[in-house]
Amino acid sequence: MMNWLRRIFGSLFKRKKDIKLGLYGPVNSGKTTLANRICKDWLGEELGSVSSVPHETREIQMKEKVTIKNKGKSLTFNLVDTPGIATKIDFEDFVKVGLKKKEAKTRAKEATKGVIESIKWLDNMDMVLVVLDSTMDPINQVNITILGNLDARDIPVLIVGNKTDLKSANLEKIRSAFPSYNTLGISAKHGKNIDDLYQRLVDSLR
Amino acid sequence: MNMNVKFKLLAYEKFKKDGFDALINDLRESKIVLIDAKLTPEQEAYIIEQTMKQVSEKFAGIELASMSVLNEDEVSGFDKFKNALLETIIGKKRGFTIIGPAKVVHKIKKNPEELMVFM
Repeated sequence: MMNWLRRIFGSLFKRKKDIKLGLYGPVNSGKTTLANRICKDWLGEELGSVSSVPHETREIQMKEKVTIKNKGKSLTFNLVDTPGIATKIDFEDFVKVGLKKKEAKTRAKEATKGVIESIKWLDNMDMVLVVLDSTMDPINQVNITILGNLDARDIPVLIVGNKTDLKSANLEKIRSAFPSYNTLGISAKHGKNIDDLYQRLVDSLR
Repeated sequence: MNMNVKFKLLAYEKFKKDGFDALINDLRESKIVLIDAKLTPEQEAYIIEQTMKQVSEKFAGIELASMSVLNEDEVSGFDKFKNALLETIIGKKRGFTIIGPAKVVHKIKKNPEELMVFM
């Protein structure tokens, strides 16, 4: 009897202990900036480097046991920052932003592997923040494919409209493009609305 | 500037039978492929994944758009049921998919009712 109880509650505990929170989205939407914000706020250290050059994050980065607290509640999860998903990667685009040809080709190759890894890791997630740049048109195939795949896997999703500190940000565009999802506007760079995000995470994942 | 663009019309059934390799061959030959069905999100992700493995100096990936012809928000519950039944019978989602090599199709902009293809 005790073994049976231990097995049941042990598996529940294990499942909860191993929660993986993924950051998904297109390239340069601010996933790593958000990951850094979360890690800095709760662990005192950043997760990865950020850059205006596309595909700065080209490998899955994970920070284990991030505990966030909000209004007396807390939640521990493994934070998974994923490379931005894209349908095309042209090394010439990297040359245009100042990289040397050889460096650009290497970056493009690594970026393609990053996209593949991101897609493969979809199966491992318990919840996903889909990070979109709120200054960009949200209706594109990458966003639709990411959300469709999360739906197909029954993975809870919160859309995070990032960069709301910028004048051209338009959160309503995201809301009207994806009306069946909860959407929260933040600025990961400046910490705007970040406490709301923490509250939603604590509430939704408990 | 004159530009010759080849379109390949591909039946969904043939796409499923011939698999991804045939599709990638067409894309590498700079053809734009039109499939007579909306793909599932898993198929879209698989195509992106497989295409990324093929990226080279000459092939930079794809532009892709997959759309339903039916706006589910605008039809009644009975029509939704009829459509679901029909899709089950024909074995594919009604709609279409356009896939083009990124060096040919630079951008596909879509809204619920129309597509703009920038070449």
